Amino acid sequence: MNNVLIIDDSDINLTLIKALVLKLGDCSPVVFDNPLAALEWCRGNVPDLVIVDYMMPDMDGLKFISAFRALHGRNEIPVLMITANDQKDIRYDALLGGANDFLTKPIDRIEFSARARNMLSLRTGQKYLADRAEHLASLVEERTAEIREREKELIFRISRAAEFRDPETGAHIQRMAHYSQVIALGLDLSIPQQKLILEAAPMHDVGKIGIPDYILLKPGKLTPEEFEVMKGHSKIGHELLKNSRSEIMQAGAEVAISHHEKYDGTGYPYGLKGNKIPLFGRIVAVADVFDALTSERPYKRAWPLSDACKFLEDGRGKHFDPLCVEALLAGWEHVLDIRQRFRDEEVPLI
Amino acid sequence: MAEVFVLDRASILERLGDDEDIYEMMVEMYLEDVGNNCAALSAAFDSGDASVLQREAHTVKGLLVTFSDAVGAADAHDLEQIARQGEIAGLGDAVSGLQQRLREVAAALSAG
Repeated sequence: MNNVLIIDDSDINLTLIKALVLKLGDCSPVVFDNPLAALEWCRGNVPDLVIVDYMMPDMDGLKFISAFRALHGRNEIPVLMITANDQKDIRYDALLGGANDFLTKPIDRIEFSARARNMLSLRTGQKYLADRAEHLASLVEERTAEIREREKELIFRISRAAEFRDPETGAHIQRMAHYSQVIALGLDLSIPQQKLILEAAPMHDVGKIGIPDYILLKPGKLTPEEFEVMKGHSKIGHELLKNSRSEIMQAGAEVAISHHEKYDGTGYPYGLKGNKIPLFGRIVAVADVFDALTSERPYKRAWPLSDACKFLEDGRGKHFDPLCVEALLAGWEHVLDIRQRFRDEEVPLI
Repeated sequence: MAEVFVLDRASILERLGDDEDIYEMMVEMYLEDVGNNCAALSAAFDSGDASVLQREAHTVKGLLVTFSDAVGAADAHDLEQIARQGEIAGLGDAVSGLQQRLREVAAALSAG
């Protein structure tokens, strides 16, 4: 049903136009004999067609169109202005001022119907395009969300693939990813950055896929040569993930290459120091070690939380970025909650 | 006002798409309003406000043209244009003539 707004100070014209609008079918006329009252109505209602007389007291048709067009979202709505045949100058002004077409007095039903229908078709087209644009935008949003979910799942599964070759870890990747998020929160990183590290951190050890089993699964201490090979997992992980167009993969590559760097420059693979180490690498270094210490492993008992905290504090400025350690400890309630949520026997998806 | 108004019902109806209902409704409204329209013209003239007289003459022009009264509409148009110049003191006869025309049209419409 199209709302057709009719504004004319002459009752007889209002009645005539209203009757003609009703004859169009599928139209609901809204009539005003006062343009100011009509404008007020337009503030809260959106007509599909406006038919306005030129000469009226208080506000003429040109001024009405100008004020109507100035209202938000009313710029495209078709406007028919009623003029006399001799008002050529006014017609030019009206066209420049936003009228789409004219009706001349005396009103002729055939001409009226044709012009009004044309204007309503224009409006129908506008609404169709607007609906379609909205629909497409929502479809794109939906599809993007689906792709992002799939990407997250894929990343999780890739990370799990690496972790499955290293049976000591269990729910480690889930916990360390969430600890990383807690640190990012404590560092006042933006919400998107917090989310990004949560999604990227699980990929920190993905390079272990490229480490031979006899080293990765060796029960005893690694020889210096074996340890050198083992250290290669950060570069392998980086190789696997780098140059991706995905922001998460890019962050994962950064985490993979830098999470074994140490704040004092004694880490690997490049011996980077302090803030030269990418922030995500410094964050994950703390989260990864803290979870390794506080988890049960076949060759060690889980450290008491207090001992693990002391280890982190002792490592401030040496192994760890002091601000990252402080951020984790500042989010202690979250840490305890994460330990409860992700126990080694149950590994829910992030 | 030399030329007598002759109702051309057929041309009016043709313009209205031969819709008798709309025609009857408009005639009824015209007859109801003709007194008010004449009074509005007098009041506009008496007020001395040229812009008000211009607007009333414009309204009457629209009414008369609706009923295919080209002569009456032309008179209303002349009055409108003179009033538009701002000088209305000498328009008393023109106003009376237009009122007379409105009544003449009303009489013709009443007679059908």
